[in-house]
Amino acid sequence: MAQGDRRETDLATARELNAIVHRHYSEDQVYRIDHYLGKETVQNLMVFRFANGMFEPIWNRRYIDHVQITAAETVGVERRASYYEGAGALRDMVQNHLMQLLALVAMEPPIAFTAESVRDRKVDTILAAQPLAHNGKTDVVRAQYAAGWVAGAEVPGYRQDTGVSPQSTTETFVALRMQLDSWRWAGVPFYLRTGKRMPKRTTEIAIQMRRPPLEIFRRVSPSAVAANLLIINVQPDEGISVRFEAKLPGTRMQLAPVMMNFRYGTAFGGAVPEAYETLLLDAMLGDPTLFARHDFVERSWELITPVHEHWRNENASTIPTYEAGEWGPAEADELMARDGRRWRTL
Amino acid sequence: MSESLLPSGVDVQFADIESALAGSSDDTRRAGGTALTATVVVAGPRHRLVEAAQAIAALKDVGVRAVLISYGDNPAPGVRVAGHTVALEGLRPDYLNNAVAALRLSSLPTLVWWRGGGTKDIEGLATLADRLVLDAEDPREVWKWVENLAQRTSVSDLRWARLTRWRALMANFFDIPEVCAAASSFSALRVEGSDRPAMCLFAGWLLSILGSEQRIVPDLREQSSLAPIEAVVLGDGTQQLVLRMAANRTCVQTAATVPNLPSACRTVSLGNQQLAALLGEELRIRARDVAFERAVAASRNVS
Repeated sequence: MAQGDRRETDLATARELNAIVHRHYSEDQVYRIDHYLGKETVQNLMVFRFANGMFEPIWNRRYIDHVQITAAETVGVERRASYYEGAGALRDMVQNHLMQLLALVAMEPPIAFTAESVRDRKVDTILAAQPLAHNGKTDVVRAQYAAGWVAGAEVPGYRQDTGVSPQSTTETFVALRMQLDSWRWAGVPFYLRTGKRMPKRTTEIAIQMRRPPLEIFRRVSPSAVAANLLIINVQPDEGISVRFEAKLPGTRMQLAPVMMNFRYGTAFGGAVPEAYETLLLDAMLGDPTLFARHDFVERSWELITPVHEHWRNENASTIPTYEAGEWGPAEADELMARDGRRWRTL
Repeated sequence: MSESLLPSGVDVQFADIESALAGSSDDTRRAGGTALTATVVVAGPRHRLVEAAQAIAALKDVGVRAVLISYGDNPAPGVRVAGHTVALEGLRPDYLNNAVAALRLSSLPTLVWWRGGGTKDIEGLATLADRLVLDAEDPREVWKWVENLAQRTSVSDLRWARLTRWRALMANFFDIPEVCAAASSFSALRVEGSDRPAMCLFAGWLLSILGSEQRIVPDLREQSSLAPIEAVVLGDGTQQLVLRMAANRTCVQTAATVPNLPSACRTVSLGNQQLAALLGEELRIRARDVAFERAVAASRNVS
């Protein structure tokens, strides 16, 4: 491709790139880096699920109500406007990072901890995903940040950022609902969201369990009992937390949610290696377990390309906005409200 | 320049708040301290934050992250951290939501203690709070919003919390069958005190639960030298239920004069009415307080 020849990346370009690469290298010689896969917590997700006997039995539609995956940044487009204008949040974050996180949460147990076994199961998972845009409808919400207040300072809106078109409809926020057609996950929605200029920098996977079938404490503690949560903190403050109800000390029966926390920083001490350190070392050692395989990449583009086509067909000159420093637009809340759920206020 | 809300704290950049707080958490953990179970946000004009900061300091064993926000016109307010407490001084109220969204503890309850300000800023706060405790100097304007706010979160008021023992004592009268039998003839309610909103709230509560808003015309007697609520007298010409602040100002004396009922008098402590104690109690409650919402609505008809 000639320099300056800007094509929007989509399924066709992904296939084209894979074909070019495969003309010169076999798949086992190719290491497609997604730095999220090098993060300790992301790797630990497999250990958490498959090296412990107590979690996998409840890791299914019978016990899990829904899953929320959030990747929030406080920064704006910074100096990447020329790239970001042609990409947007769906390409920049969802197609790669969030799809990988989804696959690791939802995959079936691999028969061995080998690269192909793990990557086969991840591809199975994403193959089970229902289309994100179908028959002119989509469960994907997009928005763009307007001026606001983040991290202690006033910030301009996206369209006022350097290098951004004043008429830009590039999305800086995406929220979507995914369904996996599998015995394990049928009927369990996966809600994904990512955005720039959010109140906090955080990436987490929150698994919300179903409520107890009978609320026997309703009479003595009439407050709504919070659902159990399992939270995998990807960044910052990498770790795993469990939220459960506890009795408040005292003579009265009052309940309150409490957290049980595991933090890498305090549990093991020492510095956690940077994701790229891990991945580059793995590449040098010839271990592709933590790298994206061509079929996974193509399938993820296959899911999001119709969404871009849907947006193009809308031919909209406007895009919903959210104030910088807030958790996205009202449309994202409505996406959850339709299912009787709410985004977590992180 | 007035003294900082956190005199023992250190100044930090907003972006460094979490790491400063994490350092405090590590110190606390090493010292075997309490785990954090909630976020308490205190928002209000500067002059109302000083005593709030002292109340928060008294809650140090409860295990809360506290965020003190005083209003001003600064888009980049001064930030100070001490222990698990953050103070933002002089923040533009437009950005209250953004600051709370950034600083609340994820996955745990957030209680917002609202000590006054513009009512337009409170609506967004309600969506971020699990409990909103109003505590304005003059609450009448914000009480007009309670019905709306209650659709988003559970709402209460520290005035309401201070009336808890008064309400319980009045309710206790109605455990007596003779009082219950006489209640339909009660036609007069007199409330004496110095805090008119509290007096209206108590009267509104009583009228709303007795279902007698039409029949009983409350008589509010305000006098600045009295306690916020000094006395409550409910009855008619011959029968009376009386609650009166005792001479020691920490107890309430109760007396019922009802036919066929032997004299029923007692003296009961008002309990700890300090801000920290009231706030500690609010932290233990999560349920929606429908009685408060009805009392506020009824109080609007009490002049």
